[in-house]
Amino acid sequence: MRDLIDLWVGAQAWIFETLVSPVLFHFGLMAWYEPGYSAVEFVMLGVVQIAVIAVGMRFFERRWPLEKPGRDDGLIMVDRVYTVLNKLGIIPLAIFIATYPLVQEIELLVRSWGFAPPRLERVLPWIGDNDLVSFLVYFVLYDFAAYWLHRGQHAFGWWWALHSLHHSQRRMTVWTDDRNHVIDDLLITLALVLFSQLVGVQPGEYVVILMVGRLIESWSHANVDMSFGWLGERLLVGPRFHRLHHALSTPAERHIQDHNFAPVFPIWDILFGTAIYDGKTRPTGVDDAAVDADNGRGWLTQQATVFGRFVRALIPKFRRRVSAQ
Amino acid sequence: MTRLSIAALALLLVTSEAARADSVLVLNSEEASYSILSRSTRTEVTRLPVGREPHHLILSPDGKEVLIGSTATNELLSLDIKTGERKRVVKDILDPYHLGFSPDGKWFVTAAYRLDHVDIYHADGFRLAGRIFIDGLPSHIAFDTQSKTVFVTLQQSGRLAAFDLATQTLKWNVPVGNAPAGVVMLPDDKRLLVALTGEDGIVQIDPRDGSVKGSLQTGKGAHNFFPKGDGRHYFLSNRVEGVVSLIDTKDELKVVGSVRIPGGPDCMDITPDGRELWVTQRFLRRVAIVDVETLKVVGNIHVGKSPHGVFMLKSTATVTAGAPVRAASTAGEIK
Ligand SMILES: [Zn+2]
Ligand SMILES: [Zn+2]
Repeated sequence: MRDLIDLWVGAQAWIFETLVSPVLFHFGLMAWYEPGYSAVEFVMLGVVQIAVIAVGMRFFERRWPLEKPGRDDGLIMVDRVYTVLNKLGIIPLAIFIATYPLVQEIELLVRSWGFAPPRLERVLPWIGDNDLVSFLVYFVLYDFAAYWLHRGQHAFGWWWALHSLHHSQRRMTVWTDDRNHVIDDLLITLALVLFSQLVGVQPGEYVVILMVGRLIESWSHANVDMSFGWLGERLLVGPRFHRLHHALSTPAERHIQDHNFAPVFPIWDILFGTAIYDGKTRPTGVDDAAVDADNGRGWLTQQATVFGRFVRALIPKFRRRVSAQ
Repeated sequence: MTRLSIAALALLLVTSEAARADSVLVLNSEEASYSILSRSTRTEVTRLPVGREPHHLILSPDGKEVLIGSTATNELLSLDIKTGERKRVVKDILDPYHLGFSPDGKWFVTAAYRLDHVDIYHADGFRLAGRIFIDGLPSHIAFDTQSKTVFVTLQQSGRLAAFDLATQTLKWNVPVGNAPAGVVMLPDDKRLLVALTGEDGIVQIDPRDGSVKGSLQTGKGAHNFFPKGDGRHYFLSNRVEGVVSLIDTKDELKVVGSVRIPGGPDCMDITPDGRELWVTQRFLRRVAIVDVETLKVVGNIHVGKSPHGVFMLKSTATVTAGAPVRAASTAGEIK
């Protein structure tokens, strides 16, 4: 383990000191010195995640596919683009730059009031001193916020206009998780970053939560009929659990997608009465021709058309004018 | 032996009488923890959570506790000087990024890096005397030997500001170069050295009016000072270059030695016998141990993420009330 960390940190330091640090120094961007170092780690973690998905998770999809190869296979291609853009930090970097001034303003304002986030080790000293337990507590808190944000994505018309892009895929695979509109990514990131600062998650912990959480979420979209067992399925979100959330609604199950919202820990669905464990396999997608039309489009076209959908949902006047034409 | 059993054994040692003077504290700024290292065995004894985004730490004027600036939680966390264990919390110290006591022990000053202000407290009871808002990321502080003035580098605006402690007013605020960080007052009280992290060296400043009197090329990303202890030589970390330079300040400033320390070397401290310099390597999650005479790296210890401040616990016998106190990791040489 020690050797592995050494190797990892050594690679990170080498990449940073050879490629990033000289550029920052040359352009007088020394204020970005530490964040630049973290960014290198973010990209490295992205490469690891892509490798785990492409090699590890794909192995199970190939070996035990739930839906056999079919005519919709071509639709998956664009999801790979989403995954690469997100995991390699291209979209996160854009979001970071866009939200940085706002996050800064809020953070500094709150800090100038003298507000200090609670610290687990102060509230529960025996637990807080244990690295693993402390990490899990923050992870669970983080996931709690993510659960409610996800419910928001389904509850508000304007937000669903964005989030429906994630649901429009008819072929769920390990690549589906990152299929989101950039504005949706931005809103969720902003909310989760602010929430994390509020409850006192450390930058170092945040990276690990993000990494582990997103890998579990990639797996929960896998095209496999596997679960972690009766108990496991209730402790961690798996493909069977999340597939139900992507199920195509039918006249008999009109609100099937309003279930199994939890990103990582199903406990939230169980607690708030939105969990369904019935073991049935359903086709996935959205029963709305306008949304289903996302399929077959490329990344840029999807982003543009979904943005239009979002604007129309957001501004009723604009929506009326468009429908009157 | 497993890491756990080493830790358990070492924990026993730490709390024992003999080990008191043997410990070194390191703040792991990105994982909100501090490591207790053993000087003799060169191992990490234990790692404990502490505040949020801790960067620098200093000795209290009475020499009984070590104070850690926990920036994101707006407080000082004190550790017992003997055991390194957590002792008490001083609340309502906003964003204490860099911190220090005046040499006479009367004033306590913090640079609120993120919140853009310099706070001057009466050290007794940490009563706020004055808060001065100043743009440009106040980053490091130093005092004159008379305890009349505090000097603060402003990283973003490339300036150095001087404040009168008694009246908490600005004396001067002058440009010194790109991204100034560490600042130190030489024992003659006539020369200030400022490290320019955005450039490749340091400048010498006249403390009376802030005029630049000279400069010295040391390495890219010159960052922080630590006195060798002879009142004449100073170590300087150059973060981008990955080098620690030894500077002679006797007459003209001169680089008289250097040692390669990769991984963004930052804060430093010297063992009580004056033989080893310990340097935090921010990017490599390590502390490097340098032999002061030969300027060779003689050891490495793994610590947590982004280690920043480092502090040698000394036995209480060597610390007396009213003894020299200093700004975190940029100790002025005070007699
Ligand atoms: Zn959903
Ligand atoms: Zn999904």
